Amino acid sequence: MIMSEEKKAQTEEKKAAPPRIEPPKVEPQKIQVENSMVEEIKKFLGEDLIEGKVQRPRRIYLKVKPGAHRKAIQYMKDNWGLYHISTISGLDLGNNLEVVFHLNARNIEVNLRAEIPRNKAKIDTITDLLPGSNLYEREVHDLFGIEFRGHPNLEKLELPEDWPKGVYPLRKDWKVPE
Amino acid sequence: MVGQKLIKWARTRSPWLLHFNSGSCNGCDIEIVAALTPRYDLERFGAIVKGSPRQADVLLATGPVTRQTAARLKRIYEQMAEPKFVVAVGTCATSGGVFSGLYNVLGGIDQAIPVDAYVLGCAAKPEAIIDGVAKLLAKLRSS
Amino acid sequence: MEGARKLVSTFKVPIGPQHPALKEPSNFTLEVEGEYVVNVTARVGYNHRGIEKACENRTYLQDIYLIERICGICSHAHTTTFCQAVEECGGIQAPPRGIYLRTLVAELNRIHSHLLWLGVAGHEVGWDTLLMYVWRDREVVMEALEMLTGNRVNYAINTIGGVRRDITPEQMRKLTKWLKILEERTKHYRNLCLGEKTLLSRAIGIGILKPNVARSLCAVGPTLRASGIKWDVRRDDPYAAYDEIPFEVVTSDMCDVAGRVIVRVDETLQSINICKWILEHLPSGDIRTKLTRKIPPNEVVSRAEAPRGELIHFVRSNGTDKPDRVKVRAPTLGNILAVCEMLKGGYIADIPIVLAAIDPCFSCTDRMLFVDRTTDKNWVWSSEDLKRYSVRFYANEPFPRRR
Repeated sequence: MIMSEEKKAQTEEKKAAPPRIEPPKVEPQKIQVENSMVEEIKKFLGEDLIEGKVQRPRRIYLKVKPGAHRKAIQYMKDNWGLYHISTISGLDLGNNLEVVFHLNARNIEVNLRAEIPRNKAKIDTITDLLPGSNLYEREVHDLFGIEFRGHPNLEKLELPEDWPKGVYPLRKDWKVPE
Repeated sequence: MVGQKLIKWARTRSPWLLHFNSGSCNGCDIEIVAALTPRYDLERFGAIVKGSPRQADVLLATGPVTRQTAARLKRIYEQMAEPKFVVAVGTCATSGGVFSGLYNVLGGIDQAIPVDAYVLGCAAKPEAIIDGVAKLLAKLRSS
Repeated sequence: MEGARKLVSTFKVPIGPQHPALKEPSNFTLEVEGEYVVNVTARVGYNHRGIEKACENRTYLQDIYLIERICGICSHAHTTTFCQAVEECGGIQAPPRGIYLRTLVAELNRIHSHLLWLGVAGHEVGWDTLLMYVWRDREVVMEALEMLTGNRVNYAINTIGGVRRDITPEQMRKLTKWLKILEERTKHYRNLCLGEKTLLSRAIGIGILKPNVARSLCAVGPTLRASGIKWDVRRDDPYAAYDEIPFEVVTSDMCDVAGRVIVRVDETLQSINICKWILEHLPSGDIRTKLTRKIPPNEVVSRAEAPRGELIHFVRSNGTDKPDRVKVRAPTLGNILAVCEMLKGGYIADIPIVLAAIDPCFSCTDRMLFVDRTTDKNWVWSSEDLKRYSVRFYANEPFPRRR
C-alpha cells in the first residue's frame, strides 16, 4: 500500500512541470548603468542586435547576428574600456550551435552571443581585437568543431592527438561510449 | 647468498621514489609532497624522491590515466630498472574514482601498467601513503 | 655573456634520450639561442578528462563532487562558484550564516594555497629548506580545515543552498588561536623573503610582465596584480560575503617574480585578517536552504576569485535535475599566454621559477622540448633536469648580466 502511494507521488512529480520561477525583481535604480549600456549598444547596432537584457546587477546578455559581433566588440573597446575577456563558451542548442563571448567591461560581465548553423559552423575570430582570446577559441574549436575564421593557429588544445577527426565530444549528438 | 641478502636489505631500506601525475586533480600529489615534509617525514624510511625513472625503485602514480599521459606512463615504467614496484595513490589511480567513465580517461593506473599496492582516499592522507609504502617494503622484506 | 656560453659547452647535463624525430607531445616547446629563450609555445591538455560532458549526465548534487576535483588545491573555489550558479538558477539565496562559513573556508583555502606555493617556489630555486619550513607551518591550516570540514583536501562542505557542516564555539576558539600562530609565522616569512639575497637574486627583474601586456593578454589573479593592476573579483564583482567584509586588494609595482611573491604573501596576511573578522561577526541561523531537485530553465554566469585568479562558471539549466551545460574556465588557462610572453628574452635557467610564479594548476608532468635556433639541435628535458641546470647556472654566476 505504502509502495504504491510513493509511486503515485513520484509519477505526479514527474508529470508536473517545474515551477516557473520568475527572476527576482531588481529595483531599477540598481541596474541603471547596465540599462543605459544596453540602450547605447541598441542604438549603435540597430538591426544587428537581436536581444539585449539585464539579468541582474553586473550581468548583461546581448544576442547579435553572427557577423556583427566584431562590430560590437570594437564599439565596447572604444567606448566602454573593454580589454578583458573571461572566456568563450560553446553551446549546442539542438538545431543550431551558439558561441557566447564572456567579456568584462566596467566590472560588468557582458555576455555576447551569436547563433550559427550546425552544418556551417564558422564565425570570425576576435584574436586581433582581444589577443587574450587565442586559447579560448582553440578550445571551442576542439570540442565543438566551430571554426574561427582568421585565427593564427587553430590547433588542438585539449583533445589527444589520436582523437578521431570530425568527432566533437561536447555536441549533444555525441554520446560517451560505454 | 649473503650478497643477495645484502642487496635485498639495502633495497628495502632505501627505496628511491618517482612521482608521476597522470591527469589527477593534484590533490593526491600535494599529499605525497606533504608526506615528505617534517610533520609526516617519509624520509625516515630511507625514501627519497628522485626525478629520473632510471634511478627509481618505486613509482608513486596518481590520477586516472588520461589518454595523453598513458603513453608516457608506459614509457616511464619501461625505463625503470628491475626490480620495480608501482604504488597507485588515491581512489582515481585505483579505479578512476569520480572520473570513471569519462571519455578521456582510461580509469586507473592498472589499465596501463601492473600495480603492486593501492592506497585509497580522495585525497589519500599522508598517513595512508606512508602506510602503503611501508606495507610494500614489509612485503618485500618477507618475500 | 661569455661566462654563460662557456658553461654550455663545458658540463654535461644529464638529459633524456635525444630524439629529433620524437613525436612525444611536450607541455612547452622552447626555441632558444644559446642561453636565451626566444619563443615559447604551450600545449596544455594533459589534464583533460572530459568533466564538462560528464556534468550533463549527472544531477546537480553529483556534479558538485565532480567539479570539486577539477583542481585539488583550489577545490573550494570551484564548488563555491558552481553552487552559487545553481542557486541563482533556482532563484534562492543561501542563509547568511551559510554564506559566512563558505567565505571562511574559502579564505582558509587561499591561505593554504599561497603557503603551498611559497614552498614550491623555494623548491624551484633550489632552496628546499624553505619548502620544509613553510609546509610545516601550513599544517596548521590543514589541521584547521580538517577540523571544520572533515578532510584536508576536497572539503565537500559546499552544497546547493548553503554549507553542510556548522562550526561549534569550541572550534571557533581553536581556530582563533591557530590564526594567531599563522599570522606570526607568515610575517616571519615575509621578512625572510624580502631580506634573503639568494631568493631575491633569482626573483628580481625576472619574468617581467608590463601592465599593458598583462591587460592585452587577459592575465588574471596575482600575476596581474603584481603588475600593478588592481583587479580582484572579490572587490569588483562581490560574491558570497565579500561585500560586507573589509579587506584590501594587494598589488605590487614590480611586475616580476619578486612582485608575485610579495603579492601572495601579503594576500595571505589579508586572508588571515578576513578569517578573524568572520569569526568575530558570524551571524546565527540556518546554514542551508532547501532547493527543489529540478531547477527551472535559466542560465547564469558565476565568477569567483580562486587563489590563482578569476574563475568563471557558466551554467545552463533546462528544467530537469541535470544541467544542460556546465562550462568551466580555470584561472591558469588565462595565464598561459602571459607566461609564454614572460619567458621570452630570459635565461633557460629562469624557466622553473617563472613558470612557478603563475602558480600553474596543470599536472606537473612537464617535459620541455628545446629547439636551438643557432645550432639546430633539439633536446627534451624534464623539470628535474631543468632545475638542476638552473641551480648550477646560478651557483657559478649568482648575478649574471642580462640583456
